[in-house]
Amino acid sequence: MTTTQLTRAEAAPPRSAPRAGRSTRHRQDHPAWFLVPALVVLLVFFFVPTIYNFVYAFTNWSSFHSAISFVGVDNFKDLFTNGSLLKDLRITLVYAVLVAIFQNLFGLVLALVLERDTMINRFARVAFFVPVVMSALAVGYIFQALLKPQGGLNDILGFITRHDVNVAWLGSTTWTIVVVALIHAWKWMGLSMLIYLAGLKTISEDVLEASRLDGAGWWTTFREIRFPLLAPAITFNVATALLGSMNGFDIVQATTGGGPGGTTELLNIFIFRTFGQGLFAQATTMSLALFAMVAILAFPVIRILRTREAVL
Amino acid sequence: MKITRSAVAAVAVAGALALAGCSDPGASDAGNGPSTSDWPAQDAKLDGTTLTIWAAQNSNKTADSVIQGFEKLTGATVKVVTIPDPYEQGVQTKVATGDKPDLAFWQPTASELTALNAKTNLQTLDGAPWLGNYTGNLKDITGLLDGKRYAALVTTPAVIGVYYNKEVFAKNGITSTPKSWDDLVALAKQLKAKGVTPFYEMGADKWATQWWVQAQLADAAKDGLWDKVNKNQEKFTDPTIQGAIDTYKGLIDDGLFNTDIKTATFADQGDALLGGKAAMAMQVNSFFNELQASASTAELDKKIGFFPISPSGNVGTFIPDQSNALVAFKTGDSKREAAARQFLSYWLGDGYQDFVDAQSTVSLLTGVDTPSSVPQALKDVAASIDSSVGSMQALAVANPDLYLNLSDMIQGTKTPAQVAKTTQDQFAQLAKAQGVAGF
Amino acid sequence: MTAATAPLAARGPARRRRPPTRFLQPVAAITLVVLLLGVPFWLVVVTAGKSQSEALNPNLSTPSHWHLWENFGTVFHEGHMTPAFFGSLLIMIPAVAGVLILGAMASWVLARRKSRTVAFVYALAISGLVLPPAVVTIVLLLRQLGLAGTALGMIGVYMGMYMSTVIFFVTGFVRTIPLELEEAARVDGASPARVFFRIILPLLGPTISTATILICLYIWNDVFYALFVIGGRIDTLPLNLYQVASAGLYLNNWHLIFAYIILMSLPLLVTFGLLQRRIISGVTSGAVK
Repeated sequence: MTTTQLTRAEAAPPRSAPRAGRSTRHRQDHPAWFLVPALVVLLVFFFVPTIYNFVYAFTNWSSFHSAISFVGVDNFKDLFTNGSLLKDLRITLVYAVLVAIFQNLFGLVLALVLERDTMINRFARVAFFVPVVMSALAVGYIFQALLKPQGGLNDILGFITRHDVNVAWLGSTTWTIVVVALIHAWKWMGLSMLIYLAGLKTISEDVLEASRLDGAGWWTTFREIRFPLLAPAITFNVATALLGSMNGFDIVQATTGGGPGGTTELLNIFIFRTFGQGLFAQATTMSLALFAMVAILAFPVIRILRTREAVL
Repeated sequence: MKITRSAVAAVAVAGALALAGCSDPGASDAGNGPSTSDWPAQDAKLDGTTLTIWAAQNSNKTADSVIQGFEKLTGATVKVVTIPDPYEQGVQTKVATGDKPDLAFWQPTASELTALNAKTNLQTLDGAPWLGNYTGNLKDITGLLDGKRYAALVTTPAVIGVYYNKEVFAKNGITSTPKSWDDLVALAKQLKAKGVTPFYEMGADKWATQWWVQAQLADAAKDGLWDKVNKNQEKFTDPTIQGAIDTYKGLIDDGLFNTDIKTATFADQGDALLGGKAAMAMQVNSFFNELQASASTAELDKKIGFFPISPSGNVGTFIPDQSNALVAFKTGDSKREAAARQFLSYWLGDGYQDFVDAQSTVSLLTGVDTPSSVPQALKDVAASIDSSVGSMQALAVANPDLYLNLSDMIQGTKTPAQVAKTTQDQFAQLAKAQGVAGF
Repeated sequence: MTAATAPLAARGPARRRRPPTRFLQPVAAITLVVLLLGVPFWLVVVTAGKSQSEALNPNLSTPSHWHLWENFGTVFHEGHMTPAFFGSLLIMIPAVAGVLILGAMASWVLARRKSRTVAFVYALAISGLVLPPAVVTIVLLLRQLGLAGTALGMIGVYMGMYMSTVIFFVTGFVRTIPLELEEAARVDGASPARVFFRIILPLLGPTISTATILICLYIWNDVFYALFVIGGRIDTLPLNLYQVASAGLYLNNWHLIFAYIILMSLPLLVTFGLLQRRIISGVTSGAVK
């Protein structure tokens, strides 16, 4: 074990000598009032509005009349009989999983390719960070233009294969969801790459030296040593990719608007449309459903990944 | 200080209680507005007053000439704020949060005025001095909700009809435009036999797909179809509307449309018609505006013609859109409210000639001439309004996403029956939310 | 960890990396950049250089005449980019600074103290990562606080949204700072505030860099929340794009849109380029703990 095991400090207890009255000392040394400003901000600007929003799911709030009254669980009943909800939940889930896979794969590959600190690599890293910096709207516009039947991608493919290529990348009712997931991964892979680069750098040189001396090739070293040690980075990347794309909206809205034929309609797009029709209460009911799904999925996933970290 | 569990709980409860006392959202601070029978003179001085106009991305430059003139005449300051697309959603949401402008571009149909909660949020414009100057029957066909006027029409409302390439017609020996729906279909089959693409549809951009269904409903609309739908006495799934959807699908299946219908865009449609790759497109005014962006009036007059169509004749279906009209909000500030009315008076008064010239658009007011730079097709469109009937948007109480469902049908993920059912369900949900009787 | 004891076939002395691999890697790097990034960026630059009619249907061909500077000028002027730039800065800097300091303060306490209440508060504090912020109710609340349409209100909203992110990052990191350092300072008579600001905060540098980049990114590009909280009252860069975006109904000024996007992304890109090494080393010690 190396000294970098300070990283797993959560597993290691604080090293101060046990002393009587330690909890009292904590009260003085780590005063609770330090928590207060942050909690106030969170409460006022986040929790209260969010909870209020969920409360409206039980009302008939809409843009058509100013009065609001409680309607109990009517909205929820209507929601589940509406086929769109389940279909969109499924699509959102598929999208999230695809993004998590692609983004991490690309990020990891990029990190491995650009690992050494050469000039070219440094330049390439900055270049790959550019999509991260660009707004999602911009990314949507760009790929809309590139992927249309007479767009850039088909031009290039046509040039290479010397045939007329007319694939409608954003027009397939089955595969376009994969295409938009790839676009999402394209935008964010620079960030994943950064995290993996960092993770790779934390792997102690001693361990790698040892394996090199044992005669292990690059792939074996990667598989047996580096990949397992990347566990914290993987946790972070997979969790943020999953969570980020479950709440995804911008890129898909800008490229397909939920089409073709509603096959890329993420739940947030449906919510946005419902909200836009003036059916505010129904839209917040759907947000509640989405939040429930995210919570149900996110916490187990994070717990599994964290356990894997601890074991490794 | 010890953090006790109860302390945390207490803070949370206190916070929630404090804010539970909050009043209803978007609660109108403008319940009792001033009397709107007071219409200030167009040139009354307004130094120090600032008016805000909300506009969509495509209408944010429309008012420029009027603003210039008004600011010079009255000393007021007028600011245009662009609300990103989708415009209606953005505006509704902002209004729901209590944010209101002085004026906004808004679709003057009953369903959209309801969506903005006109009774609570908007000033009534009855008794305006410029109402009598509208040509034809423009005054009565739109801008009204429950007998009260809330929207001021500034440009000629869009009409659904067929834009055709004159040269393609001439080249294929067609000398007169169709006089009924059956004529139209027969003509299309004729053209197809000669190897010409009869109709061009933009399946990928979606929003125009509904025109095909709406044009077929013109006769029924005249007979009160939408009144029945509004009372839940007739549904989208009943033969009239379902039949129109089925016919549309039939035409597509018969190969009378472009082969790339699933991926064609609005831009493609413009290119196709202008370039003669297709003969006809069922569209509204904005399509023609797209053509104007790449061709001159002279070229357009030579190449593009327009005729409205309905089952039994050439009756157009009018569908005013957001850029055609403005509404004035009740902001609670009587000075600004009066200034907003004054601005509208100026726009549809002394400022109208400059406006029409600057925008190169058809004039709505008697006494103001349409500039010669306006292409003939647009003049034909304006001329068809008097005999036209209202569209779903204009006559129904709610606006379901018919176009989205139709586009799903084109992509193959919905059958015509499903299109009707989904649209009916959406309509019923919206009507119910509005509190319409019968739902 | 089984690394040191993993059974490996004895293969004699380790081979040196063969020269071809030396060349392969840079080639691979450059190919990736060109393919994955070159094409999209080329589209952006080329379209930004076209005139309106050429740009109506964006494609990869070069413009017949380059209008790049002209388009930059148009968007700069018509999109009111100067006030928008300062508007964006005015909101982003206090929001980021505020959320980092308050979040770090809270994280410190949450990381050091152990009790069930603390665990509960921590769970609550990071739940913001999962919960979607509710824009309409936030604005209604701001309206009641009298902050609707003000920069302060917008700053508050962003702080509320990203507080959880900061607490998530920093709490883990604080635990890696040895308690001895704090003890030493306390023995010297420092108050908790002193201990925090003089000792802990500087050591949090790396993780704060990570959090800073992420939050700056989100805020700089945010259209949605800005539209409803301050739209029409304060100009920000993402919002002003819509002044120039449209050429008519359903028509876009792609040349102006892309020109605007290039200008809008420049500040962040330049910052990242200059601070790249710092940021990477920050992330190195930051997020992966």
